[in-house]
This record gives sequence, C-alpha cells and structure tokens, in this order.
Amino acid sequence: MERVAEILITILIPVGGAFALIGSWGLVRLPSLMTRLHGPTKATTLGVGSILIASMLYFPVYEGRFSAHELLITLFLFITAPITANMIAKAHLHRQGSGIDPNPADEMPEGLPDPTNWATFRTNASRRSDAQHPDEN
Amino acid sequence: MDLLLISVLPFLGALAVSLAARWTRTAQAIIAGGFTLAAVLLLVSKAPAVLGGQVIGSRLEWIPALGLNVEYFLDPLGLMFAGLILGIGLLIIIYATFYLSAADCSARFLAFLMLFMGAMLGIVISDNILLLLVFWEMTSLSSFLLIGFWRHLPEGRQGARMALAVTGGGGLALIAGMLVLGNIAGSYQLTEILIAREAIQTSPLYPVALVLILIGCFTKSAQFPFHFWLPQAMAAPTPVSAYLHSATMVKAGVFLLARLWPVLAGTDLWFYLVATTGLVTMLLGAAIALFKDDLKALLAYSTISHLGLLTMLFGFGTPMAAVVGVFHILNHATFKAALFMNAGIVDHEVGTRDARRLGGLVHLMPIAATLGTIAGLSMAGLPPFNGFLSKEMMLEEATHTVWGGLEWLVPVIATVAALLSAAYSFRYVAHVYFGPRRDDYPKAPHDPGIGLWGPPAVLVVLVVLIGLFPAATAGPLVQEVSGVVIGAEPPYFALKMWHGFTPALIMSIVAVLGGALLLWRHGSAERIWRALPLPVAKNMFDRFTALLVTTSRTITDAIDTGSLQRSLFVFFLVAIGLGIEGMSAGEYAAGARDTIPASSIDVIAWLALVGGTVAVMVSQQHRFLTLVYISVVGLVVSLGFIHLSAPDLALTQISVEVVTILLLLLALNLLPKRAWPTSSRTRRIRDAVLAVIGGGGVGWLSWAVMTRQPNDPISAFHWAQAKPGGGGTNVVNVTLVDFRGFDTFGEIIVLGIAALGIFALLETAARGASGRRLLAWKPDLIRSPERHPMMLVVGSRLILPMAIVVGLYLFLRGHNLPGGGFIAGLVFSIAMLIQYMASGFEWAEKRRRIERHALITLGILTAAATGLGSLVFGEPFLTSAFGYFHLPLIGEFELATALLFDIGVALTVIGAVMLALSQLSNVAQRAEKIEHVEHPMDIDPSRTTETNL
Repeated sequence: MERVAEILITILIPVGGAFALIGSWGLVRLPSLMTRLHGPTKATTLGVGSILIASMLYFPVYEGRFSAHELLITLFLFITAPITANMIAKAHLHRQGSGIDPNPADEMPEGLPDPTNWATFRTNASRRSDAQHPDEN
Repeated sequence: MDLLLISVLPFLGALAVSLAARWTRTAQAIIAGGFTLAAVLLLVSKAPAVLGGQVIGSRLEWIPALGLNVEYFLDPLGLMFAGLILGIGLLIIIYATFYLSAADCSARFLAFLMLFMGAMLGIVISDNILLLLVFWEMTSLSSFLLIGFWRHLPEGRQGARMALAVTGGGGLALIAGMLVLGNIAGSYQLTEILIAREAIQTSPLYPVALVLILIGCFTKSAQFPFHFWLPQAMAAPTPVSAYLHSATMVKAGVFLLARLWPVLAGTDLWFYLVATTGLVTMLLGAAIALFKDDLKALLAYSTISHLGLLTMLFGFGTPMAAVVGVFHILNHATFKAALFMNAGIVDHEVGTRDARRLGGLVHLMPIAATLGTIAGLSMAGLPPFNGFLSKEMMLEEATHTVWGGLEWLVPVIATVAALLSAAYSFRYVAHVYFGPRRDDYPKAPHDPGIGLWGPPAVLVVLVVLIGLFPAATAGPLVQEVSGVVIGAEPPYFALKMWHGFTPALIMSIVAVLGGALLLWRHGSAERIWRALPLPVAKNMFDRFTALLVTTSRTITDAIDTGSLQRSLFVFFLVAIGLGIEGMSAGEYAAGARDTIPASSIDVIAWLALVGGTVAVMVSQQHRFLTLVYISVVGLVVSLGFIHLSAPDLALTQISVEVVTILLLLLALNLLPKRAWPTSSRTRRIRDAVLAVIGGGGVGWLSWAVMTRQPNDPISAFHWAQAKPGGGGTNVVNVTLVDFRGFDTFGEIIVLGIAALGIFALLETAARGASGRRLLAWKPDLIRSPERHPMMLVVGSRLILPMAIVVGLYLFLRGHNLPGGGFIAGLVFSIAMLIQYMASGFEWAEKRRRIERHALITLGILTAAATGLGSLVFGEPFLTSAFGYFHLPLIGEFELATALLFDIGVALTVIGAVMLALSQLSNVAQRAEKIEHVEHPMDIDPSRTTETNL
C-alpha cells in the first residue's frame, strides 16, 4: 500500500509542478489577454489539483491522519478562480468594446458577434432607457 | 453615606428621565420630581443635626494621589444652599412641566435640569476643593445646555456660548486660584483650609490666589465687568432663568465668597476689590434694569444688581454685614425665582413680555397679579415683605462703611441703588398689572392652571411669612449659617420690622419715594438714559472674541498651511532630528547577537519586497498601479510574519490589507487616474534626501536593536504568565485582551473616533464647494452598464456563510491559537464588504439591521462593561477571569471574560470599517449619480419577463 502511494505521490507532484510552470509560461508568452487567461486556469486546476491530491495521499499514509485542508482549498479555488477569470474577461471586453487602450493582438472589435447583445455593454435596464431616449445613442 | 446618596440622586434622576424619553411628560416629571423629593427628604432628615451644630461628612477615595477625593460635608451654609437648590428645583420641575410647549423635548430638558441640580448640589456640599472645581465646571456645561435648550433660536445659541465662555473662562481662573490656595494651606480639604486663615493672609501668594478666585466668583455671579452674559442667557426657557439665573447658579460665586469668607475676608485688598465691585454692580444693574422693556431682561439686570448687593455685603468684611448677606441670599432667592416664574406666566398667557405692550392685567389674571405684586413689592423693599428686612439691614451696614476715607460714598450709592431698585420693581408691578386695560394683547390673557401659579405661590407665601415673622422663620437658620460664614459666633442681630427711627429707615423712605417719583417720570428719564453714550457690553465681547479668533487663525495659518507635504516634511524632519539626538547620546553600533541565516526563499521574498517598494515609487503617477504594488508589499510582509512565526500578525496584516485595498479602490475611483507631480524638482530632491536619511536611520536602528540580546524583556513575563495568569496559550491575544487590555481599550476608542472622523470629513463632501464639485464630476472612463455581474453576486453569496464561519472560528480560538477579536472583526468586515461590492451598496444596505454608529458604541460599551465588571468583584479595572467547564458532546472548554472584551473589539472594528465604507460609497454614488436599483444583479435569468424585453 505504501509503495503504491509513494509511486502515485512521486508522479503527481512533478505533474502538478509541470502544469504550474506551463501555466505561468503561458501567462507570459501568449499574445492577447483572452488567450493569456488560459494559462493560469491550467495552473490552478491541473497543477494545484495534482499537488492537492498528492498531499491528500501523503498525510493518511505517512502521518496517519486525515487532512481536510485540501478539500477546503479545492472548494475555495473552485468558487474564486472562475469568478476572477470571468471578471477579468468582462473588464477586458468592456475596455475593448469601449475603445480604451485596445491591444492589436486581441483583434476583438471584429471578433465580437454583436456588441449590443453582451451583458457587459447592455443590460435590460440600459436597453429600456435607450428605448425611451433613442436620440442619445 | 447619606450625603453621597443625596449628591448622586439628581444624576440618577437625569439618567432615569433620559431613559424614560418615550414616556409621557407627566411620568417624566414624576420621575424627576421623585428623585428630587427623595433628596429633599434626606436633606431635611439631616437638618436638625446640622443646625444643632453637628457637621456631617462622608468620604470616598477617588484619586488619592492627586488629593482628589469624593469628600462631602454638610454644615449650615451647605444646608441652606442645598435646600434652596433642591427645593426651588422641585418647584421648577413642576413649573417647567406645564410651561414647556408640546414641541419641546421635556425628557431632554428635565435631564439637563437634573444634571445641573446635581452639579450645583456638589458645589455646596464638597469638602474637597478639587471636587468643588469639577462640579463648578459641570454647572457651566450644564447651564450651557440649558440656556441653549431652544437650539433653533440663534439668541439661545449665542447666549449659551457667551455664558460658557465667560463662566468657563472664570472657572479656569478659579482652578488656578484654588490650587494656589490649597498649596498655601497645605491641603485641598476645605475644612482644613478654613482654619488656615493666618497662613493664607500672610502668604505672599495671597493676592494672587484672591484675585484668581474672585475672577471665578465674579464671572459666575455676573459681577461688573463680567455681568453681560446674564441678560444674554435670558434666551433660555423661563424655568431655566428662574432656577439658574435667580436662585442657584449665579449664587455659586456668592456662595464661594461666603464659604471662603473666614480665610479670605478682612483685608484691605478684599474690601476694595469685593465691596467696590459689588457697589458698582449694584448701581449699574439697577440703573439698566429700570430702562429694560423686556420683563426678563429687567429681572436679569435686577438680579445682577442684587448679586452686587450680596457681593458688597460680603466685601465689607464685617461679621454683621455677612449676617445680612446670608439673610438676603434667602430673601432674594424666594422673591426673584417667584418673579421669574411670574414673568414666564405673563409671557405664556399673554404672548409677550414687553412691558410697553402690557398693562391692566390685574382684572384678567388676578392670581398672577397678586403673586407678582407681592414678590415685586418685596423686591422694591416694601414692608411687610422679606425684601424690606434685608434691604433695611443692608442700608444700616452701608452707613457704617467708610470707603477710602469718604464716609458718605457707600451710603449715598447704596441709597441711589435702592431707589432705582424700588423704581424698577414698581415698574414691573405697575406696567404689567395696573394701568388701563388694553385691547391689543397677542393672546386673550387669563390665569394659568395651578401647575404654573402653584410653584411661585409657594415662594410668595415664604416671602410673606419671612417678612411677617422673620425671627421665628428665618432667624435660627440665619444664626447658624452666619456662624459658619464668619467662622465664629455671629454678633447679636434682631430680625424684625421696626428698629426705630434709624438712618436706614430714612434712607429707605427716600428710596421708596424717590423710586415712585422716578417711575412717575419714567418717560423723560428714559429719554435722558437713551441719550447717554453707554458702551454695549455684548458688542465689546463680540469684538473681543472676533479678535481672538482672527489672531488664533492667523497664527494657525502661519504654522499650518494645509499642505500635507509640508506637514509631513516638518514631521519627518523633527523625527530625524530627535533620532540623531538620541543616537548621539547612546550607543548605536551593531550588537554581537548571532544572526539567522537567510534561506533562498527569504532572499526571494526580500527581493520582492524591495522590488514592490521601488515599483511603488516608479509608478507613483498611476494611482491604480501604485495600489497594486502596495498590496504586493503588504502581502510579502504578511508572508514574512508567517515565516518568522508570528501567525497572529500575519492574519491581522493580511486582513487589514484586504480591507484597506478595497476601501482605497473605492476612494481612488473618484480621483483622476494619474497623479501629476505637484512639487518642484528641487523640492522632490529635498524630500528624497529626507526620505533616504529617515529610512536609513530606521533601518540602522532596527539593525542595532535586533543584533543585541534583549535586556530583561517583558515578553519573558508574558510568556510565563499567559497560561497561568491569563488562561490562554496564545500569548499575543492574552497580551492584547488581558495584560495590555487597557491599551487595547484605548485603541478601540481611537478606532471609533477615527471612523467618526471619516464620517464627519466625508459628510461635508455633499455640501458647499465640494458638493458642487462632486455633482459636476464626470467619470473619466466609460462605465459598464452591468455593474453587478451574476457570477460575482452568486459567488459572493456562497462566500458569505463560509467567511462568517471562518471569522467565528478565528474569534473563538483566539485565546489559545492565532486569531482573536480584532482579526475576526476584520474577517466579518471583509465578508460584508464583499456583499456590498458584489451586489451594490444600495441593495446590501437595505439588508442591514444595525446602525453602524451604534455598532461602534456597542463595541466600546461592551469592552468597558467587561472591564468594569471586575470592579464588582473588588478587582482593578479590566482584570480578567477564566474557568474551565464541561458540557456533554462538546467536552471540556474554557470560558474567559476576555472573550467578552474581544466581542467589544470585534464589534468596534466592524462598525468602523462599515462606517468608512458607507461614507465612501455615499460620496461615490453622489458623484456617479447612480440610479436607484432594486435587484442585486443586473441580469438575472430568473426574472424571465424582463429578459424577454
């Protein structure tokens, strides 16, 4: 049993480390913000995930006690990471759509299907007020 | 012990009345009256013993190191004054209940009145002059509140301010004078000072002490040239005038003159200062009173005149004059309070108190007319009322007094003053109640209910009784009180109406006839008076205060230009100067202690820290970028704390960091995104040099300190005592809530004040120039219409319970493991900040149940109550107690009072953060002109009808 755990842990840690490195590498290397968002996603899910699993194997087998910290870390990561990515993407879309410091690598104005249908640009409330005052746009 | 109880009863009454603020007015009056009545009864029960020559004392140690103890004693003088204060106080409470209009907050009024009553009572029964000074200042403060009770009236506010400035300023002089006196006598105990006459009068400091004390007395008792505040204070509701400005507060100065008479009086200096001031005030007050049309102003100046009379009598320095003074205090209190209440009745029922618009009320208001006439004639000095007796005796004393070799001066001035006094008293009676009936009264006059005329009627009965049977009613009291004032057996005196054809009787007749004559020719006398070029004291005072304000503003502006850069520059310059001075005096070489080897992680963290700091400097023009780098620095510092085994500090640091960054983001929102340099190049170089010297100095200092072995550090004690003494294994937390609990208590108060400071500073942002600037503000970036994205809102909801659990966990384990009230408070605040941020301020605000200010107060009160709780068990403030308990399921656990204290800390922290947040949000909302939103999310799939739009 210990041997199996040992092998698994020795595999999981380098794999986690590799994903973390690849994620960081991608963050530096990828050309536009939207593509760069992918880098840290790999690092948080696969990279941190592998290391957490390794940690969950290590403590019961070698220290003889169960540890719940890893589950909590996973939970918090699962809640926070997507929201962060979502907010960054939204902010980015907003800045691009509004023409604030556009990065040519993003090529976004052409890439957007129809800016008026994106929540970042239009909400029900603003749509309604536009309908009432159509001249303003 | 009874004296303690008597002195505390009015304060308890004030508390009880303010707690009963929601009850009916009658209930409040019963509460206030009940407490007063209890004090009166206690006092009366002591009266036989005190008048029998026994002095009752009581003593409680307060700050023995300063000589400040709660020491009371009751002698006949104190008894007489305490009786006046409580007795008239009771009448005033009844009167005020019927006098105040429905719109006035009677609970507030009665609470202020009881506060004043307690303070005044404290003055007259204090045996410790420091305690007396405390009460003296309290009367100034509480009278300020009472005079300005009608806050909406500018005259009320101005009058209150002037009264506070004059009497409070005089109080400062009195403090100095009393301290000098106490030092001469070698004791702050009044009973000991009173027997040190020789030492005091031969001391070279006697004139200093005398002048300072007299300034205190004269300001309080409205003596010339400090008399001008009293007429201004007439803006107060009439019950206040009747109580404070006739019977009690203005008598405090006279009381002190009487109290210190045995040790201070009898010298030439005393005679010329006190008697002359009294003489001038008496004459001046009477003259002005005659030409005042406002009844209350007339009575105010007449009070000034009578106070001058009292001062003059005590100033004569002869035992007989002191006897007369004591007698007149009693008489004046009765008829003057009655007259004030009478003027209040006229004002209340007729709608004006202008003598020119009154007259002929005798048939319309027979009861008020009878009462007013009797009290007025007593004030005029007509037999058979008590005013006649004491005025007669005063004139008799005046004939025996020689001023600077002039035998005729004092008798003549006293007669003239008595004449004027008779004239204005007649005027009060004649121009209000007699003469032709008018048809242009503002209201239809009629007699008020018994609630209004009852209290003055009681006093008027006394006026008549003392006038008819002086020896039987007032005789024994005057005998005993004069004995105390003189400090020896008083000379023989007879309180009776008929003394034979004495010079005093002739002067009295002249005064009354002259007064009647003057009133008859009042019109022409008034024209002459108006033509006189008299200075107006109020204008002089206003000019003087304006001058003070301009001067202090000029000085302040010269020192502080409002530039933060400049202030910081001076601050750091001084700090560096002091540091250099300190280092040159002591050792500053590095110590010999072994250093810890730096691991590669340490080096990386250190590089990140330095890099972050450099980045802050480089990017200082980009505000948001700067904020990011600042948070990097904060993060590395918290990691450093973890690395160096200080988890408590790390937790605090990281949560403070989060709160600060969130609040700063909110604040930065409204600022321009770039900060252009405002200082010149040379100035920046100067600042850089200063910064390098300061930073280098602090670095060197830390190095020098940390490379030494600590010299018997107090931390060793904390380590050793945390568990056995404080009941916790987390030394940091035990230090905070137990060993240094008092510091923490002070700190949460400071935190609360800081939050209120933010509140006050930003509260003005909506008004004036800054308000207009906010309204004109245009966002410098295009705002997304979707301000509250769904994912963020839902995620923040998920986080809330978890964050609360984490906060509770940190809080509960704080005593033994890293955590505690401060950290928990910050975590709770962050949990709520996230909600406000994600769902919008408005939406979250609607779900808030507790007032933020109340939260801060509650926190401080909880901490204070915990600390005070230990007093109940006879332990010093903030002594903690702990115990171990066993519960099934949960097992062994510990409960400590420190936990309660920690609750207070946590509440204050939450309140402070939330207050800052709400104020910043208010400003932001105003600036962005954000529309009202009902929903937490801008796009919500569950609101399907709207998505179909």
